[in-house]
Amino acid sequence: MPRNTLNRQLNMVQDEILILGSMVEQATRAAVGTLKSRDLREAKLVFEQDQIINEKRFAIENAILILMATQQPMARDLRTLAALLEVNTELERMGDYAKGIAKVTLRMGNAEVNLPMVEINQMAELAVGMLHRALSAFIEENANLAVAIPKEDDRIDELFNTAYSKILHEMVANPSTIDNVNLALWVIHNLERMADRVSNICERTVFIATGELFEMDGMDEEDLNV
Amino acid sequence: MEDMNQPSKYAIETRGLNIFYGDFQAVKDISLQFERNRITAIIGPSGCGKSTVLRAFNRMNDFVPSAHATGEVLYHDQNINHPSVDAVQLRRLIGMVFQKPNPFPKSIYDNIAWGAKMNGFRGNTDDLVEETLRQAALWDEVKDNLKKSALALSGGQQQRLCIARALAVRPEIILMDEPCSALDPIATLKIEDLMRELSQNYTIIIVTHNMQQAARASDYTAFFTMDTDRSGIMVEYNETSLIFTKPKDQRTEDYITGRFG
Amino acid sequence: MNQMEPKTFGSNQEMQDAEKNFLHRRHQRARLAQSVFQLTTLLAVIFLAALLVTVVNKSMGYVVVENKVDPSTLSDRPLSELNNTELAQILRENLRKNRVRTLERAGFLEDQSQSTLVQLVETEIIQPEVVESYNLFPSLIKRSKIKADAASTYPNAKVEFRYWLNGTFLTNSMASQPELAGVRSALLGSLQLILITILTAFPIGVGAAIYLEEYASHKSRINRLIQTNIDNLAGVPSIVYGILGLALFVRALQPFTSGALFGVDGQNGRTILSAGLTMALLILPILIINAQEAIRSVPDSLRQASYGLGATRWQTIWHHVLPGAMPGILTGTILAISRAIGETAPLIVVGASTFITSDPTGPFSSFTALPIQIYNWTTRPQPAFQHIAAAAILVLLIALLSLNAAAILLRNRFAKRV
Ligand SMILES: Nc1ncnc2c1ncn2[C@@H]1O[C@H](COP(=O)(O)OP(=O)(O)OP(=O)(O)O)[C@@H](O)[C@H]1O
Ligand SMILES: [Mg+2]
Repeated sequence: MPRNTLNRQLNMVQDEILILGSMVEQATRAAVGTLKSRDLREAKLVFEQDQIINEKRFAIENAILILMATQQPMARDLRTLAALLEVNTELERMGDYAKGIAKVTLRMGNAEVNLPMVEINQMAELAVGMLHRALSAFIEENANLAVAIPKEDDRIDELFNTAYSKILHEMVANPSTIDNVNLALWVIHNLERMADRVSNICERTVFIATGELFEMDGMDEEDLNV
Repeated sequence: MEDMNQPSKYAIETRGLNIFYGDFQAVKDISLQFERNRITAIIGPSGCGKSTVLRAFNRMNDFVPSAHATGEVLYHDQNINHPSVDAVQLRRLIGMVFQKPNPFPKSIYDNIAWGAKMNGFRGNTDDLVEETLRQAALWDEVKDNLKKSALALSGGQQQRLCIARALAVRPEIILMDEPCSALDPIATLKIEDLMRELSQNYTIIIVTHNMQQAARASDYTAFFTMDTDRSGIMVEYNETSLIFTKPKDQRTEDYITGRFG
Repeated sequence: MNQMEPKTFGSNQEMQDAEKNFLHRRHQRARLAQSVFQLTTLLAVIFLAALLVTVVNKSMGYVVVENKVDPSTLSDRPLSELNNTELAQILRENLRKNRVRTLERAGFLEDQSQSTLVQLVETEIIQPEVVESYNLFPSLIKRSKIKADAASTYPNAKVEFRYWLNGTFLTNSMASQPELAGVRSALLGSLQLILITILTAFPIGVGAAIYLEEYASHKSRINRLIQTNIDNLAGVPSIVYGILGLALFVRALQPFTSGALFGVDGQNGRTILSAGLTMALLILPILIINAQEAIRSVPDSLRQASYGLGATRWQTIWHHVLPGAMPGILTGTILAISRAIGETAPLIVVGASTFITSDPTGPFSSFTALPIQIYNWTTRPQPAFQHIAAAAILVLLIALLSLNAAAILLRNRFAKRV
């Protein structure tokens, strides 16, 4: 089978994407962890390491462009590279969300704040899990797996709503800490957005496999002709 | 041919076309419709019968003694394989540009004037030469040297001259069999631009090995491949934008992603 | 050439040595091949030179001429200074009555031109005879010995240097004395014959080649049979063509070839026309094969281009195939004509005369040709005939070369049109 060069380089880019993905996962977990531990050194580290994620994203983008220019991919190869480009951007954004959460910790410092940590932790775990499986499905180009993942978003939305009302209550109950509690809204928003972006990755997976592009969140199974 | 002027939806259409070289079936059951004023590319692996099919459209296969065809090639609703069809007139109406530029060993001017004269052209030859050379985007390069031998031109210029020569006999359809395979990339792009320009007035069918070229230059693409018995079949025919981004057939996919064979 | 050790590339010494050895052997073989080809070329050149040298050697040299009657006994002044009356007087005094009467049949001797009279005196009375002749090389090297020998053996003879190929040789017709014989009628015969040959063979040959290449299906059994036959006919010995010509043109088509059909008073079919047609038959296969080759060498892409524009078969042939093939066809024609002009055997069979003193008057006249004349002369015992045969060979060669030159000019004009 010809096209060994293209295959090899494509695999390399996919590996890099997986690495980028795990960097994002790790950053998210660490950032959410610092909310509880208030380990400001750790938070600062997460905040700064986003720079590494950004650089990796540019390196991957560059590699994809070179592949497109030199190998002239067509059809599935072309779709794969276009999807990789998209996923690359999505992951970098997710990195930004993790960075935003770390920033929240830094803002709060050691102040005593009552946060809905149960929901936040659950959201983070769910989002990271979705991302992880979405990336696996993406690399395997497994549309069936990918289609299932965005549906877990409902659970995240539920948690978001619960956390949201808890935060509002806390604001009303303890107006003195409103500044810091307000920052918690930022955290749950970031986590919720992160899950949305996972859906985008799943959309790209279906795109690679079928060539079809459509919006996935809030979609019933019957609509996905996979 | 009575109904030569009756409009038909397609410029040319084949129905169940089979072409044989002796006992060997070169292509099998080809049914294709070529849209008017569009560029259609035929792609496929070597030996799958692209040129054979193309030559069937202007009966150039007549010169291969062993070749014969069954099925229909409809042009103006007339099956051109019918013995009553005048192949000489047909070849004027369906012009051909070949893989290797093949200008006549005459001057640039005579290259263009000759075909027209043979077909009974009565008008002003100077005007015709200028007009077709302009259409073929060659005029500015040769206007001062019309008496120069066509063989002294570069390959790309020669090929454009061949296109101009084909235009000079006022065809409706232009068949091109790998017209750029002997040309450098710039000359190739020039010809592709030219094809786009010409498609306003002509129907163009191009056979090419260069998938990028088919992708760049054509509106529709037909993918041919070889069946298990080595005869050519048509696998997929669709808009070029679809063939090259999401082909329906796995064989097309394999071929255009370069994973054929 | 300097025999420097050639440089080779590579870092490994052992490999380098092996490779050097191998290279050396390859170069050696290449040089050997080159020398073999040089040698063969050299041989060809030597043969050609030897041919030319022998012919030229024989065609000029010293001759010892002895007169039957010493011109000084006829008159104290040189003949050329005498007037008509004096010359006629000499003729009347020295010739027998009968001879004079024969000579005067057309008119009084006095009324003929002075130069004719001088010639008559020379041929009828003085009768110079070449008693001894030498080739060019001996003449150049042993000049004084020749003169001394001549003086002792033939005290009355004169020694002079003679170009056997001279003006009178070209303008004189056949004669029984070598000194007086010329090639005029043979040359004219050859030229007329070749003209007829070309005019028949060229159109027929080219036509047949066009049919076989452009129209005939290469698959049909009949066409393949025809093709095989043509290929084989090219190798048939020329004498066979002579016999065919004899049966066909001389005998079967006698009314046509003798000119009787056209009201010409021809007695038999042994005419230039018969010979020309026989020669045409002889070169036809060569011509067809060459023309086919030339037509085949016209690239198919040109035909396709032409047909693709809606040209008919004939338009394609006439405008592209023939002009493209013409240089090759003409080259083939040159070769064929060269063959025809030198052929002897079929002419003998068809009935060329070996002794004819009058010029051919047209296609229906009897004739002789240069090779016949040469053949005839070389069979004569007198040494002088060998010299005029050599001179005739030179004439033949020159005729051949000029025909070829003309054809080459024509061919180049065709080639340049492209
Ligand atoms: N003149 C001929 N006689 C016999 N067989 C032929 C002839 N021309 C083509 N073929 C056969 O027909 C088949 C199709 O040939 P064709 O030239 O149409 O292929 P193609 O698709 O144009 O290939 P390529 O891309 O190499 O030009 C091949 O198997 C070829 O061997
Ligand atoms: Mg082809």
